[in-house]
Amino acid sequence: MREKQLRLIVAFHTTACAMATERLCKKHGLEGRLISVPRQITSDCGIAWSASPEVRETLDRFLTGAGIETAGVYELFL
Amino acid sequence: MKGNRLLKDYGLPLAAGVIVGVAALILTAMGNPKNMGFCIACFERDIAGALGLHSAAVVQYIRPEIIGMVLGAMIAAVAFKEFKAKAGSSPAVRFILGAFVMIGALVFLGCPLRMVIRLGGGDLTAVAALAGFIAGILVGIVFLKKGFSLGRAYPGRTAGGFALPGFMVLLLALLLFTPSLLKFSESGPGSLRAPLAIALIAGLVVGFIAQRSRLCMAGGMRDVFLLKDFTLLTGFLAIWVTVTIGNLILDSYKLSALSQPVAHSQYLWSFLGMALVGWGSILLGGCPLRQLILAGEGNGDSGVTIFGMIFGAAIAHNFGLAGSADSVVDGVYKVGGIKTPGMVAVGIGFIVLLVISLTHLPKKGD
Repeated sequence: MREKQLRLIVAFHTTACAMATERLCKKHGLEGRLISVPRQITSDCGIAWSASPEVRETLDRFLTGAGIETAGVYELFL
Repeated sequence: MKGNRLLKDYGLPLAAGVIVGVAALILTAMGNPKNMGFCIACFERDIAGALGLHSAAVVQYIRPEIIGMVLGAMIAAVAFKEFKAKAGSSPAVRFILGAFVMIGALVFLGCPLRMVIRLGGGDLTAVAALAGFIAGILVGIVFLKKGFSLGRAYPGRTAGGFALPGFMVLLLALLLFTPSLLKFSESGPGSLRAPLAIALIAGLVVGFIAQRSRLCMAGGMRDVFLLKDFTLLTGFLAIWVTVTIGNLILDSYKLSALSQPVAHSQYLWSFLGMALVGWGSILLGGCPLRQLILAGEGNGDSGVTIFGMIFGAAIAHNFGLAGSADSVVDGVYKVGGIKTPGMVAVGIGFIVLLVISLTHLPKKGD
């Protein structure tokens, strides 16, 4: 089993925003993947985006530019 | 270390599945219909009947399990500071989706939870339903990938979040203090019931653990197919395994596709009914069980969905859309299932879900 790593977790209000983020990141070659929202963040069972914390500023810029609303950005060991 | 990590990731859904499975076995042993320890669709249908919203005399009772589940989820959410009143995500559309999810479930004769419980009793007629449920979920996922959304919910006044829990308290009060206002089945599935206190406690426990674990039949499948994440599915599988083991111990396991309790052998319509449930549940963001839990957490949209499901149950029985169980009449095996109105309703359901799916995709330029 792999060691836990610090990850940047972006939560959304809708699944559609998570999907749009995946498309956006693929388009711009940003590392990351969709995950089930970690339980420690919320009791909702939505979908979040998990990325390297290093891309935080870039990702934030892309999300703002694309008008994708987030429900919160967290750094967690996953 | 590895064991701790596995326990942390999978422990809660696993425990939830075992608890739900044991609760279902206890409720059946204490009087609920066989292979129906829990069934969200059937129990909401019984509540609709008890309130006089339909007149099918064999399925009328205020099921304390439903009341308990909503209140158990509410207690957990309040205790862990996760109670958040919010609403506004296409409530009218959710009402309609809830109604058709209920119609699909009543065509099969069970929600996704009862489907698993039926499988755990050896009911092979539920295999077609499982295949249909998965097919429906896959269709829903296609639309999720295309950007389907009912829009976001917005925070509201805390009091508004207690609307459905409050309605459940009202139902409990009616059941306890003015039962003469309600209708109660004297025969059939509605007349088979565990003692009120046990049913209520079972519901409270299941509601509490389901809130903590985020147990969801549709969400578990969605996560597997969309994210390759098996965490939520663990709960689904744990219910199946627990109920199977319990039924084997209690000598009530019967591996057969014939003469199963409150089940029919119209496989195509079981498949299609549960496909409607799977697709609808993905669009709604959770199965019927999950809707109860979310409503207990203060989600008004889930509350509206549940009212839609109760409405769906009423029209399903008022218009003869629901399935009927296989039976033996004068020594002759009579296949149950649905009649033409039910088939038409399932067809309309697919059209409605397709229209909702297509009209809630991003517009060009979004």
